[in-house]
Amino acid sequence: MTELNVHSLARVEGHGGITVTLDGKKVKSVTLDIHEGPRLIEQLVRGMKPEDDVNTVPRICAICTLSHKFAAIRGMEKALGITPPEKAHLTRELMMLGESIESNSLHTMLLALPDFLGYPSAVAMLNDYTDDVKRALRLKKFGNHIMETTSGRIVHGENPIIGGFGKYPGKKALEDIKAKSHEMIPDVKRVVELFAGIEMPKYAEVDKDKVFMSVDAPKKKYHMYGDRTLISNGKDFDVEDYKKYTNERVVAHSFAKRSLYNEKTFMVGANARMINMGKRLGGEAADLLKEHYDKAWLRNPLYNDLAQAIELVWAMESLPEACDRVMAMDDPPHEQPTRLTGSGTGAVEAPRGTLYHHYELKDGLVDVADIITPTAQNLDDIEIHLKLTAERMLAEGKGTDEVRLGLETVARAYDPCISCATHLVTLKRA
Amino acid sequence: MHKLRHTPGDPEEGLRAALEGVAGPGPVYVLGLGYVDKADDGAGVLVAETLKKTFPRFSYSEHDGVEGTVLDISERDGPATVFFVDATELHEAPGTVAVVPRDMINDREITTHRVAVALMAAILERSGKTSAVICIQPGTLEFRAGTSGQVSSTIETLSRVLHHLMLKQN
Repeated sequence: MTELNVHSLARVEGHGGITVTLDGKKVKSVTLDIHEGPRLIEQLVRGMKPEDDVNTVPRICAICTLSHKFAAIRGMEKALGITPPEKAHLTRELMMLGESIESNSLHTMLLALPDFLGYPSAVAMLNDYTDDVKRALRLKKFGNHIMETTSGRIVHGENPIIGGFGKYPGKKALEDIKAKSHEMIPDVKRVVELFAGIEMPKYAEVDKDKVFMSVDAPKKKYHMYGDRTLISNGKDFDVEDYKKYTNERVVAHSFAKRSLYNEKTFMVGANARMINMGKRLGGEAADLLKEHYDKAWLRNPLYNDLAQAIELVWAMESLPEACDRVMAMDDPPHEQPTRLTGSGTGAVEAPRGTLYHHYELKDGLVDVADIITPTAQNLDDIEIHLKLTAERMLAEGKGTDEVRLGLETVARAYDPCISCATHLVTLKRA
Repeated sequence: MHKLRHTPGDPEEGLRAALEGVAGPGPVYVLGLGYVDKADDGAGVLVAETLKKTFPRFSYSEHDGVEGTVLDISERDGPATVFFVDATELHEAPGTVAVVPRDMINDREITTHRVAVALMAAILERSGKTSAVICIQPGTLEFRAGTSGQVSSTIETLSRVLHHLMLKQN
């Protein structure tokens, strides 16, 4: 018996692994083993005041920190019967554009791209792609700057609060972001150019269309939040019903929960957003999607990288208008709760997929908290494609290193929020 | 690799000599990495925050955006030295310090969503800057546990040594 062992995956950044068990060249099983201890955040926040909860839960992750903050605030505002002021809402949209730029630029250019260009890491890529590596860092820096300007800090910013914003960004800061966004359009288009030039490997491609889920952004926009979830089969549901559709369950080999829809795996992430909301894009992002989209996107998770690249163009192109809309409004007062007992679900699109935060409040304190992360929803789907990849590559007589790279590339394409996704597989032969 | 506790004589003097040996000409920058909510994991950030009081233009932490800072430093004229300070599993006693020069930084680091230190070091090298990682062995990584005694002591010592070096070179 042979094992392909993958080290370190987790519910968020942390430790887990993949074990591919082989009998000769036949793949007997694939398990995604999560070793990271459960963080028990949902239990930790029980009994907390809502404002303390929304400051605590983003600590789940220092990468999707604003997605967690936004999802928590949305859930809490529903539970407390608050409609946030329009300016708060627009500023939250702006901060999510910053997080998209920060996270997508890092993942596409520095974590995923070396796989396709034949380098072991971005460090190795530096000699031949100096400008592109620096471009990625510049984009990440700009994303960080937007996050800091809107939320107050690069990581775990505290400006977004329930019912409003602690401090709104000033006019000069927004004008600077707007000006810079125009300058950086060629940079994001270059990211698309790089990924569009790659012939996507087909080893992970299934022979039937997959199921993709994403939020349905309001007003038929392409954006990173919504009160309904779209399914690529044409159905949709109210995010308050998320449990019926994500069906979280526990498996023995993992501390992270799993999700199935109608007993089948599904995918969340940029690929899902493009499939479900791509027709709503405008500008050059729309042109690029039209130019590069084909049916393979529905069957091959590796296209998630190209989808993230196009999403970078969307985010960059959206900045000027987003800044203008925030600048056009006076700072409103915070909205106050209209009730202290109630429940609500906030759904946002973290860069790596749909994130749900559900809260039930009793007399102004958290009674129940439930958080479903995108990576947890993707885990079963990743396993399916890892198994297929191992089967096909071994059947084609690929060597250990090639199989390892294939498996790592598939796992990375999901942009899992887990440490070590850049260095996943160890091959052991019995 | 220099390890503070393995140095004969005064450990602080040994560390000072080790850092002076690594530092090239020009100003010294400190970039503190880590997560302060996870106890000793935040040691690098705490060193950087301490030094920032005296050297606001030369000391940065995770909170300032490490990659952007590295990019900015790489684009400045002239030589400089960048010390990354981070909590690292050294399999030593808590508070032990190791200085890892540029050529020993692993370029296959296990990191998902932060740019690898090896990449930042490579970018600095290409622009004529020197870099090294100052590793601190954590005692505990327990959530919200605060910094442990041995690591607190190391943070003070390291901050003092770096302060001395920065006064001399910056």
